[in-house]
Amino acid sequence: MDTLNYLIDGFGVALAPHNLMFALMGAFLGTLIGALPGLGPANGVAILIPLAFTLGLRPETALIMLTAVYAGAMYGGRISSILLNIPGDEPAMMTCLDGYPMARQGRAAEALAISAVASFIGSLIATVGLILLAPLLARFALTFGAAEYFALFVLAFATLGGITGKNPVKTILAAALGLMIATVGIDLSTGVQRFTFGTLELYEGVDFIIAIVGLFAVSELLVFIEEKAGAGREMIKVNKLSLKWKDIREILPTSFRGGVIGFISGVLPGAGASLGSFISYTLEKRILGSKNRFGEGDSRGVAAPESGNNGASSGALVPMLTLGVPGSGTTAVLLAMLISFNITPGPLMFTQNADVVWGVIAALLIGNFLLLVLNIPLVGVFVKLLSVPPMYLLPMVTMVAFVGIYSISHSPVDLYFMVAFGVAGYVLRKLEIPLVPVILGMLLGPEVEKNLRHAMQISDGDWTILWSSPLSITLWAIAIAGLVLPVIVGPILRRRMKAGAQPD
Amino acid sequence: MLRLNDRVFGLLMLALAVAYGWGAQQFPEPFGGGEAVGPKTFPTILAVVLAACSLYLIVRPDPGNPWPKGRTALEMLIAVAVLIAYTLILEPVGFIVATMLAIGSLCWRMGAPPLRAYLSGLIGGIVVFALFNYLLELPLPWGVLAFVEGS
Repeated sequence: MDTLNYLIDGFGVALAPHNLMFALMGAFLGTLIGALPGLGPANGVAILIPLAFTLGLRPETALIMLTAVYAGAMYGGRISSILLNIPGDEPAMMTCLDGYPMARQGRAAEALAISAVASFIGSLIATVGLILLAPLLARFALTFGAAEYFALFVLAFATLGGITGKNPVKTILAAALGLMIATVGIDLSTGVQRFTFGTLELYEGVDFIIAIVGLFAVSELLVFIEEKAGAGREMIKVNKLSLKWKDIREILPTSFRGGVIGFISGVLPGAGASLGSFISYTLEKRILGSKNRFGEGDSRGVAAPESGNNGASSGALVPMLTLGVPGSGTTAVLLAMLISFNITPGPLMFTQNADVVWGVIAALLIGNFLLLVLNIPLVGVFVKLLSVPPMYLLPMVTMVAFVGIYSISHSPVDLYFMVAFGVAGYVLRKLEIPLVPVILGMLLGPEVEKNLRHAMQISDGDWTILWSSPLSITLWAIAIAGLVLPVIVGPILRRRMKAGAQPD
Repeated sequence: MLRLNDRVFGLLMLALAVAYGWGAQQFPEPFGGGEAVGPKTFPTILAVVLAACSLYLIVRPDPGNPWPKGRTALEMLIAVAVLIAYTLILEPVGFIVATMLAIGSLCWRMGAPPLRAYLSGLIGGIVVFALFNYLLELPLPWGVLAFVEGS
């Protein structure tokens, strides 16, 4: 019953007029960000963090806005999948399979509307799952000691590459780099200067917001220049919508199944939204058997991956909110947001900052309704904005990134850092070193070290404490599986995803 | 397929790991004597992990992606130079003019006709400037346009 009371309080926070306004703004911006090819959700949220920060928003307002952006980006990803056959973000890849054929048959408006409904159902199911599961997990996490937390962080890094990840060594390398950047600055518990080279700017360490914006936004600009993708692509015209109740009823069962599968793969470490939409698509294909026309523009083929990836994105909030351990790039960015507001994520947040947590959860529910309303009648607006070629768009995004970073500290030094991170991000992307572990390393670095210290203090320097409780042994075992499994199962899964992605 | 990328990167990272690990050993002992986990313990672990990963990359590199060449590489260098110049002139020249020049150049180099490119930069700059200075009350530098501010 507690949960219900908290949730009602949460609605009180989320329905406050200014919070509602920011949620609406976030939902709109998010859809736009998701729709624009190359500007994925992590990227979009990253650019908006400095703004939310400098606007002097209260933590719950800022977090509500960014959660709305996050949810919106997942809705937006489908627009370019359907109209351009280019996924706006990675999880939207499966939506291309039936979305684009539908659009080519002159049913673009129907595909957009159906995918919006499916997204809504997927998110709704997953948000309900979040409401039920999160408090339980948070209560369980209260029993964690320092050693268990340390093992949990290792698990988070080990599974970050995901089961479909290519080279786990590169994931670890990236995480090590991020953790190393996090050690720069004055050591909090002993006051020793580490790797500051006597430079004043480095005393407080490297600001992860600058790093995130640089790594994502600036490197994106360079990638676009390299691919000479400035002109954009031919887009399919949107017809007039003629949607019957029967069309919606037809996709309901599919969307429900997709939402549940998505939620599960969002919560589990190492699965993520891409796998969620993939499993939901292939499973649906099998369930429908000979009745499906998947790959030829079947509306259920649009609904399955969309409900799957929206379910996964809400599910991914569960480990982030309850354990403070994000499982995806975008939730890592949301975590960055929390840390910059001095809110320590994790189980204690549910008691100490209950208004923030439940406000956000309520905002997720409200945001979904807003998004559904925004996405059906206003889809034309997004389509218009989507036709702005990247050669104007990406420079503008870069400007917003500059303004955001500049307005935090009014220091040009931060901007140089951002550009440097941008170039580094480009190089790492070229080398196929994932960027998310770098960011997660920077974010979690201080916590990892702190928990290691606490554990060692408790055991008086005995390292075996790190794997002495059944719980920590389990966590270590999952972590090791997370590293080994991709090597064995990864190639098979990747091949099947590739085969599935090509219409036969 | 060339496997040079990962090898070179592995070597660089190995050098970083050694330098970082060596640097960590130079930290002064914290006041009050050594603890089990001092300021250098965690960095030392990281240095070892990074070194191990680098060695793996050197021994078993993945096939690398080709790097941009010629024209494309030049365009990318120009873009980075524009971003650095943007930072450099932001405060002295002011936000609006700097944005018109920098963002306009980026649009132009990405393929927009020059006039439209710089016009977009100017409009974008004015809109964001007005939004920040008046609506959000976060001052951005006026620079050379400071005379407008007083009037």
